[in-house]
This record gives sequence, C-alpha cells and structure tokens, in this order.
Amino acid sequence: MVNIDLWAKDGYLSTPNGNSIYFWGFAKGENLPAQLPGPHIIVKHGETVTVNLTNTLPEPVSISFPGQAEVTVNGSPVEPQYVNGRLLSFVNYATPNGGTVSYTFTASYPGTYIYESGTNPHKQVAMGLYGGLVIRPTDYEVSKTAYGAGTDTEFDREYLLIVGEIDPDLHQAVEEGKPYLVSKYLPRYWTMNGRCAPDTMFKDGVEYLPHQPYDSMIMAEPGEKVLLRYIGAGIDIHPLHPHGNHTRVIAMDGRLLRNNTFDRSFQRFTVAVKPGQTYDQIFQWTGLGYTPDNPIPTILPNLRNMGIGAAGWTMWSGSPYLGVKGDIPVGVVSFNETGEYYFMLHSHSEYQITNWGEFPGGMMTMISIFPSLPEDVGVLK
Amino acid sequence: MGTVMKFLWAKTGSLSLPGKTIPFWGFSTFQRDPQVPGPIVEAKAGDKIIIGLFNSFYNSSPIQEPVSIIFPGQENVKVNELEHFWRRFMLYLYTQNDRYLSRLALRGSVPVKPQYSEDLMVSLTNYLEPTNYYNLKSIVYNFDAVNPGIYLYESGTNCEKQIQMGLYGVIVIRPIGYDTPGHPNYKTAYGVDTGSEYDVEKILVLGEFDSNMHNNVDSGYYDDMLKFKPDCWVINGRSYPDTLNEDNSSSQPYSSKISCRAGERVLLRIINAGFYTHTLYLGGLLGRVIAEDNFPLKQSGMDATYEKAGFTLGAGQSVDIIVTPTIPGEFYLYAREYNHLVNNEEFPGGMMTKLEVY
Repeated sequence: MVNIDLWAKDGYLSTPNGNSIYFWGFAKGENLPAQLPGPHIIVKHGETVTVNLTNTLPEPVSISFPGQAEVTVNGSPVEPQYVNGRLLSFVNYATPNGGTVSYTFTASYPGTYIYESGTNPHKQVAMGLYGGLVIRPTDYEVSKTAYGAGTDTEFDREYLLIVGEIDPDLHQAVEEGKPYLVSKYLPRYWTMNGRCAPDTMFKDGVEYLPHQPYDSMIMAEPGEKVLLRYIGAGIDIHPLHPHGNHTRVIAMDGRLLRNNTFDRSFQRFTVAVKPGQTYDQIFQWTGLGYTPDNPIPTILPNLRNMGIGAAGWTMWSGSPYLGVKGDIPVGVVSFNETGEYYFMLHSHSEYQITNWGEFPGGMMTMISIFPSLPEDVGVLK
Repeated sequence: MGTVMKFLWAKTGSLSLPGKTIPFWGFSTFQRDPQVPGPIVEAKAGDKIIIGLFNSFYNSSPIQEPVSIIFPGQENVKVNELEHFWRRFMLYLYTQNDRYLSRLALRGSVPVKPQYSEDLMVSLTNYLEPTNYYNLKSIVYNFDAVNPGIYLYESGTNCEKQIQMGLYGVIVIRPIGYDTPGHPNYKTAYGVDTGSEYDVEKILVLGEFDSNMHNNVDSGYYDDMLKFKPDCWVINGRSYPDTLNEDNSSSQPYSSKISCRAGERVLLRIINAGFYTHTLYLGGLLGRVIAEDNFPLKQSGMDATYEKAGFTLGAGQSVDIIVTPTIPGEFYLYAREYNHLVNNEEFPGGMMTKLEVY
C-alpha cells in the first residue's frame, strides 16, 4: 500500500532567457511549491497505490492515469463527469479551492507512464498538470531490471525525461483570467523535465529553480547500460536524438516489446516522442578505448579550428582521451571536470532547441561519459 | 471471387458541425447527398473492385473542376474512360444485370497514370473533366482486392484542396470466410492466426476541416494553402458530441460510438484521412496493435503485435487495434493533441468519441 499526496497549485517557472511564466503544477505538500513536471511517482508492480489530490486551483482538477486499468474512487471505477449533460472531466475530480479526491489502483504492469489532468485537459495539461509514474518489477532489487528477470532489461543507471512545450501567452491568459484560445496556440519554449537548456543541465533541486526540481543530465561510465525513459507530455511530436548513440527501444507505453520468446525491440538513433506516449530504451556507450597509448586514427584539428572559443567556455576536456585533460585555448573556460566526454541529446525539430527563437536552448541536454562515477548517480528518486 | 461495383458522384453539399455549417465536397451514391467519409466500399480478398466516378451526370450540384480517385495501398489499378458508360449504367438500373456492366468496365481498361497538360502534372491519376448535366462522361477504375485491411480512397486531382474539402472514403477488404461461421477466418480482420479475432468492429476515420477555407473554395475565391488552419476536428466527419449520434442518412452518416460487453474484443480500425498527424488515445485502456497500414503484425507464427495506450497516425496511415475492456463503464477515446478536443475554443468537443461497456 503506497499513499501519495499531491496538491494542485500554481507557481512561476523560470526560463534561461529571464522569463517568469505562470503555471499550474502538482506539489508534494501543502507548503511545498508546485512543480513541473509533477513529483515522480515510483512504485512496485503489484502494489496498491492511492493518490490523494487536494485542489487549490480555481477550477475542478482531476488526475487520469493512462495505461492503468481499473482506477477507483471510493471503491467504484472512475467515470466521466458531466454537468447538465456536458462533459466536464474524463474522471472524478476535486472541486475548486480546496476540494479533494483519492484515486486507487493496483500497479499491474511494470513500466513508464504519464499521469495528467483529465479535466479541461486542453488547458490544464498544457499549464503543467502532468508527471511521470514508474512501476518497477517485483524483483527490482535483485534483478536491477526495468521489466523483471529474463526480460533482458538490466540497467546500471536510469534517467527519466519528460518533454513538453509552453506557450507563454496562453499561460499569461490563464494568469490574467482571460479566455484560453487554443487556436492561438504557439509554443515558444520546449522543456525537458520542465526546464529549458541550458538549465536542463543544472543539478536536481537547485534552489534557484524551486518549481523545476528535476535535472536532465545523463551520466554514465563506458559500457554501462543506461535506461532512458521518455514521456511525451505535450501535444507535439519531439524526435529526441542522443548524439553518437543508438538506443534500443525495449518498451512503449509501459509494455515490454516482447511476445513470449519473440523480441520485437528495435534500435533507433532518433525516437519520435509522441503525445501522451512513453518510450523505454537502453543504450551503452562504448568508445574506442581511452588510454593515451591507443592512437586516434585521425589527425585532430588545430585547437583554433575546433570552434570552442566563441562562447568563451566549453565542455571539452582538451583531450580526445577519456579521463585526460589537455590544453584549452587561452581565454576559454573549460567546465570539464575529469576529462569526461559530452554528447548532446536534443529534439531533432531544431527550432525546439531555442528559447523564444534564440539558440541554444529548449529541449536539449547532455549525455556525459565519465571514467568513473559514484553509485548514486543515475538513480531515479 | 466476386465483383464489387460501386458508382460514386462528386458533389457539393454542406456539413453540420457544432456551432457552424460549412460547405464541402463529398462522394455520394446514386441520387443521394454527398457524404463524408464517402460511402464505405466493402469487398473480400480476391474480389474485383470496380469503382465508377461521375460528376455532372444526374447531379445538380457537381464540382466545377476535374476530379479523380486514387487508391493508396492498391496495386495495378486500371481505368476505362467510357464516353457512353452512363447509358449502360441507366440500363443496369432497370435490369440490375451487373455482369454485363462489369464486363464493359473491365474490357480494354488500362493502367492508371499521372496526367500532364503542357508538361505540368495536373492529376495523380486519370480524371474526369467537369461537364454539364447533359454531357455525361464517366471514368471507371478497377483493381483486385488482394490484401485484407482498411484503405482510403480519395481525390487524386488538386488533392490539397479536394481531400480537405471532403473527397475521401474508406475501402474495407476482408478475408474470405470472415462472415462464414465455422470458417477459420470467421470474424477476423486478417484471417486465421493473425491475432485479429473480434466481436465488435468500428471504423474511425480521423480528419480536420478548415471552415474558412471551405467557405472560400465554395465562393470560388482561390484559397492559399499556406493559410490552412483547421478549426474543426472530426472522427467520421463529425465533431463530439455529434460523434455519439447514431448512423443516419445525413451528409455525415457514420456514428463513432462504440458499444460492447465486458470481455468482448473490439476491433478499432483507425485511419487518418486528414493532413495533420493525429493521436487517438484510449485513456485508461490499452489496445493491441494487430496491423499497421494493413500489414498484419502476426504472421507465420511470428507475433510482433504490441500493446499501447496511444496511436499516432501520420496523414494517410492506418492502424488496427483490439481493445478488450474488462469492466463495464464509459471510456472516452480522444485525440491526445488536446487542442483538438474543442468546438469553437471550448472543451469538450472535436476529435472525441466514447466506448460504452455493459
């Protein structure tokens, strides 16, 4: 039996270009900030999960759990709610300004799922009322898998990336109590775990992003199996592409891509993350070897031609060898820590890697390969 | 091996959408109003499908431009451009001798091909010129129904305008024996051992309409496709809540409401006739994808079917899914592009329908 309390509240998001955007989100507690995405719900296969929602917003709010069968409220299955015959909500809701509702379901299948508002979803989901639900297999501690022993889903580190888009004008309309006109929808920000690049790479829970607690920095050692869980929380398609790595899609919408012995998982270099859908993937970074004795079979360009000077800073270590730091042009600051190697992971709809039109930004983060990492990196909490 | 013959007219008409009425172009059968989606053409694998197209003949509301039909997913489509076919058709109306008519339609038919005028392509396939009520040309296409599945037929001329105006419909090809109790293919979408057994079947054709464009095309003002901005989101030509109304004889004849009993296997055949990408979302339910673009995923013992909560279809794509609800209740099926769940900016509306489980 797992009890989870969520509050629907409002707050303000920060963007790297200095904007402050009104939003609605789920919070972990009455006195804790609304957050984007909502708090991760992480439970185990077979557990009974109760989610208690308190709604502090001025209109009815509900939570739908796509992919979870037989969700109940007060012992009865959730059902669409009507006012005078007009559909108000896909599921039972909490009334405005303090109402509550409790949803109960059995986590009946491991996987990655979205939870989101089922009331006025055209407005409320876009405003930020969504989050991620991860159901682990019962043998997770022993098998360290996404879907249980024998499913070939072992992993060493895991990362959850929830992507979405924000139209600041529509958010402002809600803040000012003006009509929410979907025909005017025009996103200007594209988010990864509620943040736009480069904020995506700041650590979890940094104090200057109180409403955007989750980072998107993917870190691993060579050869490790990295589990990437994508959730599309917006209404647009976001083709996510990790540079230099192909991923194997092992599950979609929380269903393992395997029928008995037939393995229907597939490799992609870009995974189109579609609205409301989830994609679990595993990839391993294996380089050519990383000792100085192992020669690179090409001639490195002159430092001046490597395009690392213009911004005044770089993630480059100055050396093509992992764990080795080399020369950086004078005047350029390297944020490289121990000779780790960075790749970009970004939306291949490149206009989405901007903040209100300015590159770089938006739906972008880094994958970093470290020579060694502590065990508590890449643990989903 | 039978012959399925269907005669279609391209006509102008009007659509009723929540809060507005807009002009549209649609396919119709003899002396009926145009409809969207067009009349469903049903055939069995192995059948010969013959589809005749008229515009002006017996039509007081013809389209004043060339019109044609393409059949995406069908191979070896042939065509006969018969000057006086309408006379044979009139005779057929009295005699109901379809064997004579089909022989005439097939004899001398040639493969369809793109049409050019002064080196410019004017149509993806052979087309019918607009004529007047007394100049009664027709064009007759034919092809073999080879693979079971759900297919679009749609305009192949000025498609950017004509398909948006509503000139599209659905062809369903079923396996032999699907309607014969005891036959191994009985009540399957793709035949025995394809995981496609079902109890209830529903065709859901997704699309969108730009009411401004429809009004502009109707008034003869050429509409710039760069301004295409749909405002009506439809399943089977209707927006919610009209999607839940029963089948009727209007220009939007097909209901999208689905009813079944708990435990029954519901075959949803979803096809995107629009220009936009649409995601049909099952909310709390999951469906098993048994075919994509009419290619069954379970074949020769290899089972590549998979379960999902959302199904994203690009323009022209289709998917067949089996949903087996376990408990009674109401379940909404809706576009996960939530902006499309509105009528005139207000939720609820648009691309949404309901599965009622008893």
